[in-house]
Formats: sequence, structure tokens, C-alpha cells
Amino acid sequence: MSRPTCDQVRAAALDPGTVPRDWVRRPEAAGHIQQCPACQDWLDAFAAGERAWALEPAGVFAEGVIARTTGADAVLADLPLLAELDPGPAFTERVLMATSRKPAPAGWRWRVSGAWQALVRRPRFAWEAAYVATVCWVLVFGNPVGAIEWSASNIGAVARERLGPPVKELRGGLETWRARMAPEPPVAAGTATGPQAEAVPPVVRAWQAASDWLRGLTASVVEACRLAWARAAAWFERLVGETPGPPTEPPAAAARSHQ
Amino acid sequence: MDSTDLTSLVDGCRAGDALAWEAFVRQIQGRVFALAYSYAGDREDARDLAQEIFVRLYEARGQWPSGDEFLPWLFRVARNRSVDYLRRRSVRRPAGTVDEKALADVPDSAPGAEAQAIASDRRGLLHAALRGLSAISREIVILRDVHGLPVQQVASILGVPLGTVKSRASRARVELAERVLALARGRGEA
Repeated sequence: MSRPTCDQVRAAALDPGTVPRDWVRRPEAAGHIQQCPACQDWLDAFAAGERAWALEPAGVFAEGVIARTTGADAVLADLPLLAELDPGPAFTERVLMATSRKPAPAGWRWRVSGAWQALVRRPRFAWEAAYVATVCWVLVFGNPVGAIEWSASNIGAVARERLGPPVKELRGGLETWRARMAPEPPVAAGTATGPQAEAVPPVVRAWQAASDWLRGLTASVVEACRLAWARAAAWFERLVGETPGPPTEPPAAAARSHQ
Repeated sequence: MDSTDLTSLVDGCRAGDALAWEAFVRQIQGRVFALAYSYAGDREDARDLAQEIFVRLYEARGQWPSGDEFLPWLFRVARNRSVDYLRRRSVRRPAGTVDEKALADVPDSAPGAEAQAIASDRRGLLHAALRGLSAISREIVILRDVHGLPVQQVASILGVPLGTVKSRASRARVELAERVLALARGRGEA
């Protein structure tokens, strides 16, 4: 047999009824196929088709044949082009702003957290916190003013205790000094008459009159000072003496509240 | 897409890692946007829809499945969100309204201006042809042939029998090819 052509080889493969199927394995055909890349590819494709025919149901295989003949193969090859599209440069940022960089949802936790943050960041928050803490302290532990009251009373007691003796001493000194400075009782009229009275020169009388006037003035000044001191002492005593009894220890309740 | 990278990103996102989430968005946004575009048919709507899908994914990141189950789950979420989006807006665009010019502006990874132009043109044709298919056929082609999901997963996502997916997939491909060729002939390219 002469050397077969490409058409003969392919016809033999396609039409096993007219040519024995194993004809392509004969030495003449095998020699042609070995030397002809086109026939090799063709026979590989044909073998793949036969395998598909054997594996696939007839309907699916027919659909495949239709697809291959209508150009669907080329279309299907292009379909992966649609698998990815560029959404644009700002898309990632837009998604992140809507997800991971988005503020927390406006639930009650978010509202409470936001209100708390706004409260804490105010400059006067420390004062307000101290005020609220004090109110809470009073509500929970009682009235701490008792301690303050004790402090005020104690200050009065201490003041009276410390200032009382010096004030008494000063008063005594003032009385003594006033008594010393008090004017002499007036001399009886009879005693001034006679030769001794007449013998007093006018200068001495003038001196005595000046002394009397000065003494009276001094007594007036001292009396005014005494009255002023008495008023001040009365005011001070009224001030510190209004609270009943000078406690030297804090009240029991206040003492308990400090423990 | 490297599945190992995606798996580690998914694990990071499940653990609440913000950087992993950002990397995940950058890596997967092309596919999500493409899927959204195939449903919405308009770039701006597709952006809104893709963002909604990402928001949904972010909200559910604690329940993400791991490993090979993640991508099918992602497509299920994206598909459900897309259907909801279209139903909500009542925007069921008729066939042929795809924005081919907008698609032509989409950058392509192919080098060279001519290759980019050809690829964009082919994408436009394919999208226009896909619009002409019935909803179920279009979804089958998109999930099976565009995104390469197995037939079983496509059937699961769409909630239809496996045989329906197989038979409709073959017919849809042929119909799609015919529509593409017809559109190309109509534009004087056949």
C-alpha cells in the first residue's frame, strides 16, 4: 500500500465502517501520523471527542457539539473576562467608610458611650464630679455638717479658753488705771478761805485748773475706751457664746461618720 | 486569587482584624463588583449594590464559614443581596440596556491600548447578551461559567435541582453564543 494522505488518515478515523478502525495503527498510517503534526492534533482531538461521547450523556454531548459549532466555545472562553471588574479608585475607601471605619451603630450603648465621652471631656467635669460625690456621700453616710458644727464650736471654746484670762487681766488693769486717774474729791469751800487760800498765787491756781481740765479729759478718753472695749467684748461674747456649751469633742454621729 | 491568602484574610476578618478586612475588600472587590454589575447592569447601581454586599459581609463576619466553604457562601450572600436590591428598587432592566460604553471604560489587565479596547468591547457584548437571557439562565451562566462555581454549588445557591442547572447551562451557553454573534453582526463585526 502506498503512503496515505492526510485525508485518508482522517477519513479512516471518521468512518470505521469503510476502513478497519485499527487501520491507523498500521505501519503506513503510523508513519504518516508520526511525520504529520496536523494529523496528530486532529487525531488527539478526535480521541478526546470519543472519550467525551463515552462519558457524557447524549444530550449533553449534543449540546457541546452545538456549542462548538455555533461559536459558543469562543463565547465561553470570553466569559471569565466578566469575573472581575474594577469598581473604580474610590470604591475601597467607600466600602471601608461604610464598614470598619463607620461610627458605631446608634444603639443605646453607643448613645451612652457618646454622652459619657462628651461629659468627661468638659473642663468643669472635675467640679461636677466632686459635687455629685459629696451629694452621694451625704445621702449614704449622713450629714457631715455635724463635724463642721463641732469645728465651729470648738473654735469658740478654744478662743474663750485662750483669750479669756488675758481679757480679764486687761480689764483689771484698766480699772486700776482708771481709779488712779480718777479726779480728787472737791475740797470743801471753808477750807479754801482764810489766809492759806488767799496765799495761793494765781499761777498755781491756773496750773491746778489746767491739771483738772486735763484730768477730766483723760478720764473721758479712758471712759470712752472702756465703753468701746466693753462693747467689743460683749459683741465677741455674743458671737462665740450663742452656741450651747463649748464641746471639746466632736458629736458622736459626726465622729462615727468620719470613721 | 490565591486561596491560601484568602483563607488567612478570612481568618483575620473573623477575628476582627481591621487590616485583614481592608486587604480582603481590596482583594475581593473586583469579583463582588462584577457580580453586582451582572445583576444591576449599571456601574453606579453596581457600586451601591457591591457596597451593600460588603456591609452585609462585614456585619456577619463573625459567622463566616472557613476554608472551601467561604466562596460559595460569599456568592450566596451576594446573590441574595442582589435579588433583594433589585426587588427593592424594582429595577429589572430590560434586555439590551446594559451600559456598554461604561464597560468600555473599565480598565483591563491586558497590556496595550488595542488589547484593552478589544477586551472591553467583548465584555460589553457579553453583558448585553447576558441581559437577553432569562433570569435563571443568566444566573446559571454567571455563577457557573463566569465565576467557575461547581454545578452542585450553583444549584444550591439558586435553589433549583441539579439536573435543571445542567440542562439549562448547556442551553444558556448556546443561546448566549447566538446572542453574542447576533449583536456582533448587528454592529457590523461578524
